[in-house]
Amino acid sequence: MIDTAIASLTSGGAYALLGVGLVLTYRMTGVLNFAHAVVGAFGTYTAIVAFEAGVGYGAAMILGVAVAALLSGGIGVVMARWFAEEATIVRSTVTIAIFLGVLVVGFRLFGDTPRVVPALLPGVRLEVGTVTLTGSTLLSVGGVAVLAGAVAWFLAKTRTGIVLRAVSERPTTARLLGVPLRTLVVAVWAVSGAVAGAAVTIIAPTRTNDYASLAILILPALAAALLGGFQRVGATIVAGFGIALVELMGARIPAVARYRTVVPFLVILAALLWMQRKEVWDEAR
Amino acid sequence: MRRGDLVLFGSVAAATVLFTLLPPFWAFLASSAFISALLVSSVGVVYGRAGMVSLCQVTFAGIGGWVVGYLGVATAVPYPVALVLGALAAVPVGVVIGLPALRLRGVNLAVVTLGFAVAVSSVVFVQGFPGARTNDPVTRPGLVAGERGFMVFTAAVFLVVAAALLAIKRTRLGAAWEAVRHSERATAALGLSVPFIKLSAFAVSAFVAGLAGGLLAAQLGFLNARNVEPVDSLVVFVIGVFVGAHHVGGALLGGVLGSFFPELLRRLSIPQDVGPILFAIGATHILAQGGRGLAEHLGRRRPAAGGDVVVLRPEGGAPTRHRADPGRDLVLRASGIEVRYGAVVALEDVDVEVAQGRILGLIGPNGAGKSTLVDVITGFHRPDAGSVTVGETVLDGLPAHRRARLGIRRTFQTERTVPALGAGDYLRLAAGGHLDRAEVVELLAFLDGPDPDTPVYAVDTGTRRRLEIMGCLAARPTFLLLDEPAAGLTEDESLRLADRLRQVPERFGVGLLVVEHDIDLVAAVCDELVVLDFGRVIGRGAPDEVLASDVVAEAYLGV
Repeated sequence: MIDTAIASLTSGGAYALLGVGLVLTYRMTGVLNFAHAVVGAFGTYTAIVAFEAGVGYGAAMILGVAVAALLSGGIGVVMARWFAEEATIVRSTVTIAIFLGVLVVGFRLFGDTPRVVPALLPGVRLEVGTVTLTGSTLLSVGGVAVLAGAVAWFLAKTRTGIVLRAVSERPTTARLLGVPLRTLVVAVWAVSGAVAGAAVTIIAPTRTNDYASLAILILPALAAALLGGFQRVGATIVAGFGIALVELMGARIPAVARYRTVVPFLVILAALLWMQRKEVWDEAR
Repeated sequence: MRRGDLVLFGSVAAATVLFTLLPPFWAFLASSAFISALLVSSVGVVYGRAGMVSLCQVTFAGIGGWVVGYLGVATAVPYPVALVLGALAAVPVGVVIGLPALRLRGVNLAVVTLGFAVAVSSVVFVQGFPGARTNDPVTRPGLVAGERGFMVFTAAVFLVVAAALLAIKRTRLGAAWEAVRHSERATAALGLSVPFIKLSAFAVSAFVAGLAGGLLAAQLGFLNARNVEPVDSLVVFVIGVFVGAHHVGGALLGGVLGSFFPELLRRLSIPQDVGPILFAIGATHILAQGGRGLAEHLGRRRPAAGGDVVVLRPEGGAPTRHRADPGRDLVLRASGIEVRYGAVVALEDVDVEVAQGRILGLIGPNGAGKSTLVDVITGFHRPDAGSVTVGETVLDGLPAHRRARLGIRRTFQTERTVPALGAGDYLRLAAGGHLDRAEVVELLAFLDGPDPDTPVYAVDTGTRRRLEIMGCLAARPTFLLLDEPAAGLTEDESLRLADRLRQVPERFGVGLLVVEHDIDLVAAVCDELVVLDFGRVIGRGAPDEVLASDVVAEAYLGV
């Protein structure tokens, strides 16, 4: 059991990171970003291609994260430029189109076969009692801790964070107060893209890592964010780790092992059923 | 059917005949186009009409294809029957998937359908389709065995489906889809069940997609997982957004983009995956323009801002709706109502009652809880304590649409009419039963409405607000709650509205509750006033007394 839990930490951390990115873009900019994981996968594959082409290991990884940040920032620009006043459903529909676009461009550039992805921090191992933590696990869990701490600190303590919270609650009012809304929105998108790039890069060496499979990481991320109600960062993180644990426990039972992809779907179903205990209406009267 | 649609149907038939003269390869491509057009039509129902995002249409097609394959291998069911059974099999699956997302707004359906598409693909479809392993293809009956015959068959299926969807568009169900896309609250306020409407759209769309899958299985002999991948659902959805899938022309255009366009790219030696990229850019562009698809730009049929006009088919039959019995003096009573948002008290121990045939004014400063009280009475907000009754009937726990059907209607602060309907048809949708033309004309005349055939999007806000009231009255409610009916009206309009509202109780047998800031209107119209401040009743009584009292002056003016 402990082994399974430890082994699920890498995936769990990645799901949590991706889920938090979804929650942040949803809260700050009112978009359910379906293109979130594919953007991360795009960054990861850029890193792989660069590494295969002879770029240094660290530089390639940073390049991948930067590309994901740029791509995501680009989507942010599109959102701020043309869809600032649109309803959430319209903006989310746009990200579905972008999901498809980035997916297909990636197929063309990277092909659809899995690659050998060098594990991150290959030499690093941490022995705690009988348990061994690999570099990937440490990065994943550490990444979550850093991100969660940074988000909490940023939103609560910095002026920009407070402004962002204002933006998420009353965009028009914030703009009237002279908040440079567009810049902020684009920044949120870029940061969330960078986190997605890092998350997908962390998880890629541990599983089937063809480009499409990595893009489908959007599902556990959506499931985690849904359990967090697209509001709560902490709950999303817990949900991310929980989903990974359930997946891995399933994977160790031979009869259900190949149904791994069903887990996020079941979590989504359960979360939605729980959420609709009471009817929800749109807020505006 | 409109002339434009007839021309379109005629052109499709003519093109199909033309294609029978070409080599079979072209017939194969044309079949593919019709199958794709069906898939795009299925997006047109769920997204184009009802405004929900579904990302598993191709999975429904896979289910249809799976069942057709299975019936071909295991039974002697003739192909056309198997085709319909396959499509029907997709419907309960769609209903089960749709259920968890129905009561929640927004993009939840997109999330659950994407998860479903991936799950079914990796659990069911990868194991192969019936007949594939044993090389036992779906047999097409003699007449449609050849490519040309099959193309004619797919064309016929598409045209039948397209005609059926056009027919549904003119029914109350079709109008309800339009309403739910525009505003769920307003739809429920019209007495329509939002979950049922959404589910019906999703079920119809699953059926159409299932048909497409059954056709695809017959076209290819049998399906394999590569034919029905989750990403294909994304492509179909994005094409649907791009072309305007709820139009017949849009669906056809989508079919052509899904079939002939890749072939064109192939012949030009352009990589075929350029297609989806272009569709994604096109869809983004359409969304940025606020449009509902390329088909609306191509046809010069409509003014830019409005969109499609839905014309309801006249219905026969006796009046089905509840009619107020002027002899019975029902009382609508809300007692001990309490609403809290965390530590904030929005309403505290509020009692109001209004009798049929009377007009109660509800006034108070902004944030006093007036609209919250209207939400509580009409079932849009569950109070933390308190009870709402009409006569002997307890309404607590009843959903909003059930209360509307019981004769408790409301309007909203911002008008929520359905822009795509004609004024008369909006009234008929709102009436919830039969409403003949004379009644429509009478109602429109009573509140200075437009001509019955004028589309709602073409009239100004003040007229729409009055249309909303007319819609409520058309339903012959026992009680009507108006949330700031005079907001945004000119002084003249406001005076005229006051005059009409005064006539409402006698003329329609309705008890009115009017939330309003316009004190002149309130004083002129109401029999009794209740004043709310910070969620509590601070005054009630005859209008002139209440308006003269110090408490009210203090609440309003802070003096």
